[in-house]
Amino acid sequence: MRGHAMLLGLRIPGSSPVHRAPLWAKYAVLAGAGTVLVLWRGPWTALAALVLSLLLYALAGRRVLAAWAGPLRSLWWLLALLAAHQWWLNGPAGALSVVGTMVASLQLARLLLLTTAQADLVDGLARAARPLRFVGADPEAFALAVALMLRSIPAVVGAMQDVGDAARARGLGRNPVALAAPVVVSTVAFAHQTGDALAARGILDRDPRDP
Amino acid sequence: MISFHAASVAVPAALPGDPDRVLLRPTTLELSERRIAVIGCNGSGKSTLLRLLNGLVRPTSGAVAVDGLDSVRDVRRLRGHVGFLFTDPLSQLVMPVVVEDVELSLKATVRDRRARRAAALDALAAVGLEHLAERSVHDLSGGERQLVALASVLAAGQRVLVADEPTTLLDLRNNALLQRTLFGTLEGQVSQVVYATHDLDFAARADRLLVVDNGAVAYDGAAPAGVEAYRRLALGSVGSGDGSPAGFRSGSC
Repeated sequence: MRGHAMLLGLRIPGSSPVHRAPLWAKYAVLAGAGTVLVLWRGPWTALAALVLSLLLYALAGRRVLAAWAGPLRSLWWLLALLAAHQWWLNGPAGALSVVGTMVASLQLARLLLLTTAQADLVDGLARAARPLRFVGADPEAFALAVALMLRSIPAVVGAMQDVGDAARARGLGRNPVALAAPVVVSTVAFAHQTGDALAARGILDRDPRDP
Repeated sequence: MISFHAASVAVPAALPGDPDRVLLRPTTLELSERRIAVIGCNGSGKSTLLRLLNGLVRPTSGAVAVDGLDSVRDVRRLRGHVGFLFTDPLSQLVMPVVVEDVELSLKATVRDRRARRAAALDALAAVGLEHLAERSVHDLSGGERQLVALASVLAAGQRVLVADEPTTLLDLRNNALLQRTLFGTLEGQVSQVVYATHDLDFAARADRLLVVDNGAVAYDGAAPAGVEAYRRLALGSVGSGDGSPAGFRSGSC
């Protein structure tokens, strides 16, 4: 099975103030900007948030700044369509406000992923999920499940490509319904292997008396 | 010391009324050699034999123990003592960045984050991969991935390594590198290596060799003679040089 790099962009290592900022501060900026963008929606707020995202990317370093435009290259047609639609309905200010808000939120959320190690994200998630303990769930297991889900997306994409290639090699068409079954089978097999590997490494094996 | 006491594995038959399917017949073994190779045909029970050593498969009857740790009763401590390496490193690596994956193995034992990072870097250095610590696991070559997986499964200080066809997906160069790492670089940390393989040159480097056939150990002894026994078993008594179809039919594979 093939592996694929993450869609939203993997972390770019660095030691900038943005990289070193604690996780809660990053989330606070993200939540704060998101709230402001929703409550005071308008072209100026959107523009300000876009500038803020550029400033923060620049603060995070040259390589992170270079990654700013990444998702726009594949999403530009969607944004252009949306902008045209909004322009027609609400005029240029409306278009700027809707598209600008979307792009700014996307960029700020990406910045969190680009500058934070996934181990830190998972640790943070485990901390945030601590209240789950009161309903009998294990916050560490919850965080690991999310990490596994993130990692499985590229694996499933790889399985789809493999199955598609195999079908074409046999001269079969790319009927999505016919391809679904082998993709599910190979995904389940992958999940099984992953489960075995986790068990073999003793991950999540904890002494029950351990706090 | 690895010991099997009349350990067997059977799974319930697919149809009710049929006899249970036996994956491993009652097997008694005492393995104390440093390098132990397990060879045999596809579906012969090699993997089942290896999986017993880490508690991934429980014996249906009998018992398996490694250095006194029972594979059912002491399974948690056993997994801290026996690392298990799979064929496909991608199904084994969980985190997207090399050092984070190694850290995951240490989570249960090392609480402090900084100490955990340092221990993970040590584990990578032990297989000569410290320069890859910050890389994405998707950017590595197959051989590098397998070595990262090796560092991960041994990170918590495991002294015994069980490897199920660890070189099958590797090219010649990476195959040699993995063998060098297993038998050279890690000699100090790992006291015993048990590996299944279809690479007969790799198998011949073992101190003791087991040929598994049809759920039972068919040969147990020195490696070169064992490889010959396996050739006869797989290709028939005429040997591999003949290549006649009749020779293939007479083998038990």
